[in-house]
Amino acid sequence: MAAAPKTNTEPSYRDIDRSVLRVMEPAGRAYWAWVGFCFTLVGIAAGFWAHQIYSGLGVTGLRQPVMWAIYITNFVFWVGIAHSGTLISAILFLFRTKWRTAVYRAAETMTIFAVATAGLFPLIHLGRVWFFYWLLPYPNERYLQPDFRSPLVWDAFAVSTYLTISALFWTMGLIPDIANAREAATGWRKTFYTVLAMGWQGTDRQWRHYSMAYLLMAGLATPLVLSVHSVVSWDFAMAINPGWHSTIFAPYFVAGAIFSGVAMVITLLIPMRKLLGIEDLLTEWHFDNLAKVVLLTSLVVSYAYITEAFMTWYAGDPIEQTTFHMRYFGPWGWMYWVMVLCNCVIPLLLFSPRIRVNLRALWVITIFVNIGMWFERFVIIAGSLTANFEPSQWASYRPSLTEIMITVGSFAWFLGLFSLFSRFLPIISMTELKEGIVWLRKALKRDRVRAAA
Amino acid sequence: MSTIAIISSFADDAQCAHAIEELRAAKVGDFNTFSPIPSHRIEHAIGLKKSPVRWIVLMGGISGVLTGLAITIGTTYEWRLNAGGKPLLSWPPFIIICFELMVLLGGIFGFLGVLGLSGIPAAEIAPGYDGRFGEDRFGVVVRCDEDEAARVESIMKDSGAEEVMREGV
Repeated sequence: MAAAPKTNTEPSYRDIDRSVLRVMEPAGRAYWAWVGFCFTLVGIAAGFWAHQIYSGLGVTGLRQPVMWAIYITNFVFWVGIAHSGTLISAILFLFRTKWRTAVYRAAETMTIFAVATAGLFPLIHLGRVWFFYWLLPYPNERYLQPDFRSPLVWDAFAVSTYLTISALFWTMGLIPDIANAREAATGWRKTFYTVLAMGWQGTDRQWRHYSMAYLLMAGLATPLVLSVHSVVSWDFAMAINPGWHSTIFAPYFVAGAIFSGVAMVITLLIPMRKLLGIEDLLTEWHFDNLAKVVLLTSLVVSYAYITEAFMTWYAGDPIEQTTFHMRYFGPWGWMYWVMVLCNCVIPLLLFSPRIRVNLRALWVITIFVNIGMWFERFVIIAGSLTANFEPSQWASYRPSLTEIMITVGSFAWFLGLFSLFSRFLPIISMTELKEGIVWLRKALKRDRVRAAA
Repeated sequence: MSTIAIISSFADDAQCAHAIEELRAAKVGDFNTFSPIPSHRIEHAIGLKKSPVRWIVLMGGISGVLTGLAITIGTTYEWRLNAGGKPLLSWPPFIIICFELMVLLGGIFGFLGVLGLSGIPAAEIAPGYDGRFGEDRFGVVVRCDEDEAARVESIMKDSGAEEVMREGV
């Protein structure tokens, strides 16, 4: 095998463009085989959904009292995954964080596709999906409107606003980069990028309005992202169901969302960096900082688990206490402890600076976090419903093949869309990387010194 | 006297900003710039005011709040459902709807505003634009009378322009 070329530690603007645009060159067979595999799984999942629509929700494992289970777990999981993208693209933009420039586009793209995936689940969960518009402010024939006191209506507003604003913010950031791609492309790709660039030329007039609008959009997206997962948490917290009716749910869910989202960003970026050959743009410094966010949010989430248990004990409500006892030591107790292991214990390894820049170890840790966070949502949602007020109503839940295949299909849908994007549109923001080129150079030099040591 | 365009390219924004300051001091022609990144130096040199897009976003946000109030209060009054004698209007949940619509319309107005103010979508490329200006070069295009051209060219070269070209307009 040939020795890897030495990374240029003094990249110029042109080098950045070349590295990013090289990724957008026509892909090979392996790439198309992967995309084909993902969309085949999506097709299979769509078949299962069609069967469910035709036959009714009886084909799922949903039975009283567990009427919210895997589908709603997937909804919360994917909305949560989306949050890190907005954290990195908007919140860290307002804080002028230097390391965000190389990772924000990929994270924001993940946000769009994760929300698009999440948005499918409330529809999939509906027995009569053709009545989905009942959640929108649309009156029936007697002018009765949806109940704005219902958290499900808040959710419809919050998630659709989140998808729209994220998509606009993402599109705005893409325009100058697509204009760059337009200059380098040939053939049909040139036409494609010319249309998408909408005539962007980077004039002083354009940059002036762009910069102001970008700042304001970041300012709007910041409280939005915090509101969205708070609203998602209120889907549960507003109900009087034991295990759900808790005042800490909003901050607890937001921290969990950022935790799982940043972990997913790392899970995607590590293989992508290698496969797309962008080691010179995504450095160990970037991963070190992302890993620190994972560690911090892991500690917040762990604190929330402890607080939740303390509140249940201190409040002294026997029904609530029984639900929690079942959560820890009931038939599904193993899931709770898997969750604690993945979300609270394994991420502690990230206290080690060496592990934070060991990309293989980091990748494995983030996979554990992804698993742990999926289990967390399942334990809260389905687990709390199994042990309710009346022990005579207690029941278990077993997911059906339909639910499992639709879940697998959702992962394939997300990965397929992300893979398509990564080869057709700039996966790293050239504009922002150029703006922060000093920091990229410093990071590359630091990597070189570390590698030599 | 015919008008011509003088296109200059610079390796960095500091030189480009210096050239603009000199141009403004000399009061010759009118100009616009192209750059691969937004540059505060260039913005200050041109003396640009803050973009009015912020007012458009504010209008969007206010419209969103008003829309939120209209649909929540309006629909409640359309069907006065008495739930256990509680007040008809439930303000805390309405605030959530108003907030979400404020962000939604603020963002949509901002996006459309930036497109409108920036003149995009644009079918035509501005005179003097070069692909390099999106990559790694900063460009200044000055439109002036032919008799001022030599003066403009000398300002550009003295400010460190790598390349100065003339083009008919």
